[in-house]
Amino acid sequence: MKLVFSAVLLALTAACTHVAPYERGKLAHPTMNDAVSAGPAAEHVYAVHEGATGGGSVAESGCGCN
Amino acid sequence: MRLAPVLAVALVAAIARADDEPNPAEQSVSRKDRGEHLAAERVATTRKLDDTSTKHAALALAAYTDSDNVTVFTPSLAASIENILQGASLKGRYIVDVVSAASADIVATASPRWTEVRHAGSLEATYKPHNFGVTIAGSVSTEPDYFSFGVGSEMTLDLFEKNTTLVAGFGYGHDTVGRCGAEGSPANTGPSCTSFGVFSRVVNRTSFNFGWTQLLGPSTVSALVLDVGLENGDQSKPYRYVPMFSSSVAPDVPNGASVAYVTANRVAERPLEQTPLSKRRLSLTGRLAHRFEGSTLKLEERVYVDTWALFASTTDARWIFDAGKRVGIWPHVRFHGQKGVSFWKRAYVSGDAPSWDLPVFRTGDRELGPLWTATGGGGLYFYLGSDANPQKARLSVSIDGIYTSFLDDLYITQRSGLISSVTLEMEL
Repeated sequence: MKLVFSAVLLALTAACTHVAPYERGKLAHPTMNDAVSAGPAAEHVYAVHEGATGGGSVAESGCGCN
Repeated sequence: MRLAPVLAVALVAAIARADDEPNPAEQSVSRKDRGEHLAAERVATTRKLDDTSTKHAALALAAYTDSDNVTVFTPSLAASIENILQGASLKGRYIVDVVSAASADIVATASPRWTEVRHAGSLEATYKPHNFGVTIAGSVSTEPDYFSFGVGSEMTLDLFEKNTTLVAGFGYGHDTVGRCGAEGSPANTGPSCTSFGVFSRVVNRTSFNFGWTQLLGPSTVSALVLDVGLENGDQSKPYRYVPMFSSSVAPDVPNGASVAYVTANRVAERPLEQTPLSKRRLSLTGRLAHRFEGSTLKLEERVYVDTWALFASTTDARWIFDAGKRVGIWPHVRFHGQKGVSFWKRAYVSGDAPSWDLPVFRTGDRELGPLWTATGGGGLYFYLGSDANPQKARLSVSIDGIYTSFLDDLYITQRSGLISSVTLEMEL
């Protein structure tokens, strides 16, 4: 786990290049944000079917769904 | 940001001065009337120039069905208003789950199909005028036998011309678990629910998250999110009865043993589920998005571990291809694998009557057992706006097949399901 985290951290740091604001045309493409992602219903199905959570909002409410 | 109103007033004043030039058509209008007219024009123009907010609304309909006789119909409504110049936004969502189930677990308790409706709402406000921003959020979820609310706050800091963004958040959730239906049967909606004042359990959830988003180049962005969760309270399902076996029978109970087999071979005692009263969980999520010339690749990997010894890995990939100016299409795959919790048993052993000597922790929640799930599907979107602004409205359709293999379970060894959704989003 620590090894994976360190490797990812190292890769990110090494890969960083400064991107000026005027170079961000591709980053601003609508598909680069959350516009195309699993909807709330699919997220909910995954949360119920998988015994793992994380990576979402901090203020999620629970449910008695499984 | 504060220059905007000043410029607007100056612009209106300039327009007013231009209007003050002698005009024969206005000679008959009194000075007072003309002043009122100009003042009204000033207000209208200023308001128009000041309103830099964008408003969005989305309506989604989703349906889920699986081979374990569970169907879920989920309509949802979302709306947001955002003012980029002032750095403020407000988002809200309302979702309804209509669940109908006659799963193997329900059949095993000789109970009929049940239907339940869950309502959930959330609200999120963000203020981020410059590089530092704060978000506060709240959510509520209610079912006949379950009530939950959550509040949270998140701070965001942009660094190095927004090449790096750091996020730190805190959340608190409070769940009240109740019970509906007669003893010995699963949940039923309606007046048979026991009030929370008579029977309820409380589960408190506290969570912290730390995120780091990093631009890796003009086409690539990555993010790492660390989540830490502390859950205290009895999360055991008050409907879930766990079959017990004698020590001589338990080793021979096969994977996926049928309801008839379990009924014939279990001991008479069938206690309720009991899980540990606290859980600490940790997850690390990595995300990567890369924009190619005509497509966008999105990857996500999450590793999860908790103090119940559940270890899981989830990988998600979505590749969105541009198919013209108005259409996008994507394949989607997801794989989830997990090791069961430390107290997971396909066949729990109990002693003889009258003491029974039950295992302290026992569960029939197959999502806590060892399993893997593969999801595959895709979707497409159409931009429906005018030629000048096609992205003003969008219709999305997606469908995914989900297959789960339960590696050490009673009743079922696999489940296949389908989830589909239609979403209409509009800029108002």
